[in-house]
Amino acid sequence: MKNLERFGFPAFIIIMAVLPNLLDPRWQAVAITFLIFTVVALSQDIILGKAGMFNMGQALFFGMGAYITAILNSQYGWPMLATIPVAILLPALFGILLSGPIIHLRGDYLLVVTIGFNIVFVQVVQNNLGGITGGPNGIFGLDSISLFGTQLTSQISVYYFAFAVLLLTLGIMRNLEKSKVGRALHYLREDQLAAESIGINTRLYKIFAFGLGAGIAGLAGTVFATQYSAVSPEAFEFIQSVLFFSIVLVGGSSIPGILLGVFMMFVLPEIFREFATWRFFIFGFAMILAMVLRPRGIWPASFGKIPKFLIKESNHGA
Amino acid sequence: MAHNELILTDVTKRFGGLTAVDALSFTVTSGQIYGIIGPNGAGKTTVFNCITGIYKSEEGSVNWRGEEIRGLTPYQIVDRGIVRTFQTIRLFSQMSVAENIMSGRHIKSKQSWWHGIIHTPASRRDELENWHKVEEQLDFFNLNEFAATPTGSLPYGIQRRVEMARAMAVEPTLLILDEPAAGLNDNETLGLLETIFKIREKGVTVLLIEHDMDMVMEVTDYLTVINFGKKIAEGTPAEIQNNPAVIEAYLGSEDDDE
Repeated sequence: MKNLERFGFPAFIIIMAVLPNLLDPRWQAVAITFLIFTVVALSQDIILGKAGMFNMGQALFFGMGAYITAILNSQYGWPMLATIPVAILLPALFGILLSGPIIHLRGDYLLVVTIGFNIVFVQVVQNNLGGITGGPNGIFGLDSISLFGTQLTSQISVYYFAFAVLLLTLGIMRNLEKSKVGRALHYLREDQLAAESIGINTRLYKIFAFGLGAGIAGLAGTVFATQYSAVSPEAFEFIQSVLFFSIVLVGGSSIPGILLGVFMMFVLPEIFREFATWRFFIFGFAMILAMVLRPRGIWPASFGKIPKFLIKESNHGA
Repeated sequence: MAHNELILTDVTKRFGGLTAVDALSFTVTSGQIYGIIGPNGAGKTTVFNCITGIYKSEEGSVNWRGEEIRGLTPYQIVDRGIVRTFQTIRLFSQMSVAENIMSGRHIKSKQSWWHGIIHTPASRRDELENWHKVEEQLDFFNLNEFAATPTGSLPYGIQRRVEMARAMAVEPTLLILDEPAAGLNDNETLGLLETIFKIREKGVTVLLIEHDMDMVMEVTDYLTVINFGKKIAEGTPAEIQNNPAVIEAYLGSEDDDE
C-alpha cells in the first residue's frame, strides 16, 4: 500500500500529463471534466470527508465560481484569468457566511439546509437576477484564456489549465494534511466534544473547512466555464451535489479514493454510454456493493503518518 | 504560582427539576492532588463539566487564578491551562497514538489558519517542534511502541494512558481526571498512582474523581465528598475515613450497590 502510494502518485501525474495527446476530442473533453470534477470532489472531501459535515450543496460553490467568471467576462470584459481571484474569494466568503449560522446543525439537518441553499442558487440564476445571469439559457460565448498574449483556444490547452488547477489543489490537500488546521478537522470529525475539550475551537474550524472547500470549488467553476465557453443553471443543480457527495462516500476520504470515486461515478458511465440506460443500473449496484463491502469508501483515509523519529523499536522484551 | 487556585463558590447546576449540583463550594490550591468522591449519581462528573465549560452552571462562580471562567467555552478554558480526561475514554479512535497526543499541542502551536494551505519555514519548524513535544509525552507515558497504532485497537488500560498523555501535551496547570482508574487492573492502577505523583512533581495540580477508595486514600491530599450534589464533608483522607456522614452515605451505599 505504501509503495503503491509512493510510485502510484508520480505515475498518475506522468500519465495525466501525456494523456490528452493520446485521446480524440470527445475523450479529451471527458478527461477535462474528469479533472474539474476531481477538484470539486477534493473540495467536497475537505468539508465532508475530513470535517465530517454533511454538505449536500457543493454544486452551489462550483456554480458560483463558474457564474462569476462568466459574468465578469461577458458583462464587464474581464480577461478569463483575471476573474480567478474573484471566483475563489467570493464563493469562499459565501461559504463562510452561509455556514456561519448553520454550522452547529448536526448531520441530516445540515444536509437539508445545504440542499435548500443549492436550490435557491439555481432558482436565482434561472430567474436572471439583476439581468446578468442569462436566465435558464445561461451565458454563452465566453472568451478563451489568453496567456502572454496568446489565445489558448485548443482543447488541449484547456486540459492543461485544468491539470494545473488539479495539481494546485493536490498541493493544498497535502499541506492541509500536515498542518494544525488539517488535523483539527480530523479531530472534530472523530469526536467533537473531545476536540473541544483539548482546546480546539470546533466552530471556527468547521467554518474554515466550508470557506476553503467553497474557494476551491469556485476555482473549479472557472475551469468549467472555460471548457464550455458557457455556463447554464442545470450544470449546478442539486443532483450534481449528490454526485460529489457520493464520490467522497464511495471513493473514500483520500486522494486515491477521490480519484477512484470520480473515475467510477463519472468516467465509467461515459465509457459505457453505448449501453444507454443499462449503465445506470449497473452503476447503482456498484455503488451499493461498494458501500456494503467498504463502508468507509474504496480507499479510506489512512492515519499514522507520523515523523519517523517517533517510531522506535520496542525496547522491552515483554 | 501564588495564584494557581481554583475556587468554586455555590455552584448550582439544574437539569429541569433536578438539581444535579447544589451550592457546591471548594478550593483547589496549587500543587495539590484533590479528590472528589461520592456515590453513583452524586453529581461528580457534572461538577467537572461545569468547571471545564461543557455545562454552564446556573448560579455560583468558578474562579481560576483570579478570573471568572464560568460561561467560557471548553477551548477557552483549555487555553487558560485547565485540561480534562473523560470517564468514558474519548480518543480519536481511527487516528494513531502520536496523532492523538498531537491534538494536545493544537493550542500551543503557532500555526495560523493559512498555514493549512501554504507552508512556510516557520510553520514547518513549529510542526517539528510540536512533534518533539509529542515524543516527550510518548516517553513519559511509556507509549513509544504504540506511536503509530490506531488508538481504537489498543487495550483499555493503554487507551487511558493515551488520554492522559494527550491532556499532558497541552502542558496544563490543572489536570482534571474523571475516574482515571475505572476499568484498570491492580497493576495498571499502581502504575497510574505513580504517574499521578510524577505529574504533580512537574508542578501540575491534579483534581480527580475516583470510585476506587483505596486509590483515593493513597493518592489525594485533600478530599471533598458529595452526595445528591451537595457537599457532605471535606478534609484529608484520614479525616474523611472517620467521618460518620461519609461512612453512611458513601461506604454504606457502596455495600447496597454491590
